[in-house]
Amino acid sequence: MAQRLKEVDVVVIGVGMVGSIVAKELAAAGYKVVGLERGQTRFTVPEFQSPAVHDELRFDIRKALMQDNTREPVTFRNQGAQVALPVRRWESFLPGTGLGGSMVHWNGQTYRFQATDFQLATRTRERYGKNFLDPDVTIQDWGVTYDDLEPHYDRFEYLLGTSGKAGNIKGRIQAGGDPHESPRSRDYPTPPQKEHFQGAMFRKAAGSLGYHPFPQPSSNLSQPYTNPEGVKLNACVFCGFCERYACEHYAKSVPQTVILPVLLANPNFELRTGCQVQRINLDSTKKHATGVTYIDAVGRVFEQPASLVITSTFAINNIRMLLLSGIGKPYDPATGHGVVGRNYAYQTMSTVASFFDEDVIVNPFMASGASGTLINDFAGDNFDHSGLGFIGGAYIGAVNTNGRPIQYHPVPPGTPAWGKGWKQAVVKHYNHTVMFSCHGSSVSQRQNYCDLDPTYRDAWGQPVLRITFDFPPNDIKMAAYVTAKAVEIGKAMGAKQVVGSPRKGPYTVTQYQTTHNTGGTVMGDDPKTSVVNRYLQSWDVPNVFVIGASNYPQNATWNPTGTLGALTYWAIDALKNKYLKSPGRLVSA
Amino acid sequence: MNAPAPPFARFAFSFLLIAALPCALAASATPAGAATPAAAAAAAAPPCEACHGAHGEGMAAAHVPRIAGQSADYLKKQLDDYAAGTRDNPIMANFAKALSQQQRAKFAARYAAMSARYIPQVKPPIAVHLARGHQLAFQGDEAKRVQACNACHGPDGVGVPHAAPYLAGQSAEFLASALKAFKDGTRKNDAGELMRSVAERLDDADIAAVTGYFASVDLSTH
Repeated sequence: MAQRLKEVDVVVIGVGMVGSIVAKELAAAGYKVVGLERGQTRFTVPEFQSPAVHDELRFDIRKALMQDNTREPVTFRNQGAQVALPVRRWESFLPGTGLGGSMVHWNGQTYRFQATDFQLATRTRERYGKNFLDPDVTIQDWGVTYDDLEPHYDRFEYLLGTSGKAGNIKGRIQAGGDPHESPRSRDYPTPPQKEHFQGAMFRKAAGSLGYHPFPQPSSNLSQPYTNPEGVKLNACVFCGFCERYACEHYAKSVPQTVILPVLLANPNFELRTGCQVQRINLDSTKKHATGVTYIDAVGRVFEQPASLVITSTFAINNIRMLLLSGIGKPYDPATGHGVVGRNYAYQTMSTVASFFDEDVIVNPFMASGASGTLINDFAGDNFDHSGLGFIGGAYIGAVNTNGRPIQYHPVPPGTPAWGKGWKQAVVKHYNHTVMFSCHGSSVSQRQNYCDLDPTYRDAWGQPVLRITFDFPPNDIKMAAYVTAKAVEIGKAMGAKQVVGSPRKGPYTVTQYQTTHNTGGTVMGDDPKTSVVNRYLQSWDVPNVFVIGASNYPQNATWNPTGTLGALTYWAIDALKNKYLKSPGRLVSA
Repeated sequence: MNAPAPPFARFAFSFLLIAALPCALAASATPAGAATPAAAAAAAAPPCEACHGAHGEGMAAAHVPRIAGQSADYLKKQLDDYAAGTRDNPIMANFAKALSQQQRAKFAARYAAMSARYIPQVKPPIAVHLARGHQLAFQGDEAKRVQACNACHGPDGVGVPHAAPYLAGQSAEFLASALKAFKDGTRKNDAGELMRSVAERLDDADIAAVTGYFASVDLSTH
């Protein structure tokens, strides 16, 4: 029998990036907030300190910072006709767990989406005609515009201290920045990180072809920075252990380094870790949430009543929370009806390896998670897609984040997969190879979705999430097109051999690509095609807000975190200035 | 980790020249006497050892660091920075300015190749300070938002050539004066203000504890 606790104003499920920011703002506004985090409490000291934190076997291979999939797996299949099986080892994507969430192990790549992305369906129709796309593609507008989000992007970047170079300030193109970006109100809070050698080689080659290289916006900071919350970060030391690792230097912007010290000092906030939320509870009308039920680390069941529930877990877990709670109609791919789990999308990642002679020394280990150089000339809708048969694009960049010994050993095709020949090739090429990433968009498609698995259950007896996904033909075409452009840049660098690997289907869950899972609780203006309205409020249960990359109707070219930060502040603005003053629907259905 | 000490006699230095240099260089006076830094450099003799010792062991009481076995890149950078003024010490600035780039590289390489025996502290820290120093070295302090020294300076402060100098076995007095110089901004030759960011969060007790700890580490037992 659940023990019923004293009611609070707000319960936040998941104390990661979104949860920390929302909780901080609402607690500061005077509301009693409880944050429920399934993982452990952890801080830069002592949990993230080296040498333990640089254990490649533990963190890279065994995924020590990730969701415990022995207790809480997901299942996966490519198509609806297959039987999904549990993912027992995280490979394709890496959802984190614990205080600070997945952001603790991110790379710090902090992009904005472009104005076109937020009105993708409308703009595509306008520019290319209404029959341009495969009829299975289900892209749609977001219900917010870039202009709506600009102040919130700005606020998020200043919270993080992001290091970068503006390309467009209030419509004026800035030399050295990205000329394709949508206008920003001011420059980044800190200057770009130092360019590594691979980046410099890329910049020269891309520039020689008439493209527009610029430094990667990085939340591993170029210099010490005190954010508007009064929290100070240090400069990055280019140790090469960002992604999959926590930062020991207070140099990567994560909840622990940008906002938790302020949140945890507020007596209006209470953090409870080791708490596995089972569901959001609804009253008999099913239109009002009464709180949540969770199980703590020793198995006790609690009911935490609250006036407002915010689910701010990792994208796929937000979907599952709604499905387990019976909030919103589950999506049915056969009929196309229902919304929860619909428009699950990903990111379409391709690579190009440029092999040089041994006189070109690149020192790949000297990197941060975001110290590269890239171009947006083939990103989003920055080029004419007429006649190409696809929409979307990819940024191309020398954005390699590390040269760690177990995982990083580029070798040319034809190299033996093991043994002496392989070892010799690794030694030969390790320090003389430049890697490009083609980081591509992902359209949503009718057949791709998430629902509850009919067979497998988690350690608490609840159905796990089932992902059904394969790469849409649109994105395979896009990957082929953009990767060919990237190969040309590799050749312009003067590489001896350039090997492009455009992403091809079928999607495999057993190879790392990226942790940019999106969709499933998408935002929009129409309750028939979205789970939450433009303020991220549930259409069905107005005192539930869902905030995550699960809100994206499809995924754009860039890493999703910057946009999620902007959406978070956008939703907070609506919560503080609209909803909490007068609780109820913010948009009439 | 240190290379064996090269034979003392290998270096053609002038004993007289060295003897003419003032010993108490830590008292920030300009070197006086017949031997100007330029003359010392011209003679290609190591003027360093009057203070840094014949084996680079330093002079703890006078806040002169041990430099034996410190990486050549690090030592060379310090000489460059003394000359440029980003590391503030009038005595070292005089020497460094008088040396050519080649000479700086040569001295740096010479001391990088040396090893010197561990010199125990005259007044070792008490257990409670050692414990606090050990904590800062290995773990850091979340309340002060200070990461472990070892994160950059290597396991137990053995140094990470070429980026970070060793702290183990270094004189506590010197380490304390270095931290204070980073803290008050008179030393600003750290990339990205990495050391200033740490030093400004340490109080005097922390500085005494952590420098006492590192001075107590005998590298020859590693």
